[in-house]
Amino acid sequence: MQINICMWILHLLPDSLITWIVNLILIAGAVVTAAGFFVRFIPFVNTYRIPVQIAGILLLTTGVYFQGGYTTEMAWRERVAEVEAKLAAAETRSAEVNTEIVTRVVTKTKLVTQRGDDIIRYVDREVVKNQEVIKFVENCPIPEIIINTHNAAALNRPIEEKK
Amino acid sequence: MKIALLGIVCLLSACSTAVPLTQSFPEAPTMLMEKCPELKTIVGEKVTIIEFTKTVSENYTTYYQCAGRNEAWIDWYNQQKKIWEDVQ
Repeated sequence: MQINICMWILHLLPDSLITWIVNLILIAGAVVTAAGFFVRFIPFVNTYRIPVQIAGILLLTTGVYFQGGYTTEMAWRERVAEVEAKLAAAETRSAEVNTEIVTRVVTKTKLVTQRGDDIIRYVDREVVKNQEVIKFVENCPIPEIIINTHNAAALNRPIEEKK
Repeated sequence: MKIALLGIVCLLSACSTAVPLTQSFPEAPTMLMEKCPELKTIVGEKVTIIEFTKTVSENYTTYYQCAGRNEAWIDWYNQQKKIWEDVQ
């Protein structure tokens, strides 16, 4: 839970602020460590040399650790930004493809419907007037078996055979 | 003390990284999700060749409408798959 809070805080912080804090810790650690080991002319440092050395090493270790974490974080942020850009481009392209396909289907469906309607109108207008057809209609009703066969095919059902 | 503990936990979390990105597969257009209608049957006791022809023609139209949507489905899937794979 606390790790998540830390990471959440880290994500909220601007890059420049994180860099600044990490560098400050690292430099402070280096300075205090150097002072603890090599500076002898400052009385305070000379008196508390061991605690200053410990504090310096702790600060330096923390700084190096944060620097590592920060570098990893930045690498991930860069990768995330890259993937985000790719995703955004993919979403745009995907929406474009959807629009293209819907437009094509609408156009094609309209054309198919139009042609189907034209054929029905042709039947109502021309076929019904055809003398040969009129003669056929008068003399040859469609046998029931043909109708049943057609309906079975249309519904993809087995034919009910009547014996 | 609590702040010190939080600080230590923050130190421990230095190398952990959350990756919040997920890619969801796109939604298909609703038009492509429509089912193909059933074909029409011929009803009535005395059916003429005219009615028969009209019903068959209507069924052919229904078939071509549905075939168009099916073709679009295949095209949609192939294109979306390519877009999806390009992101990976």
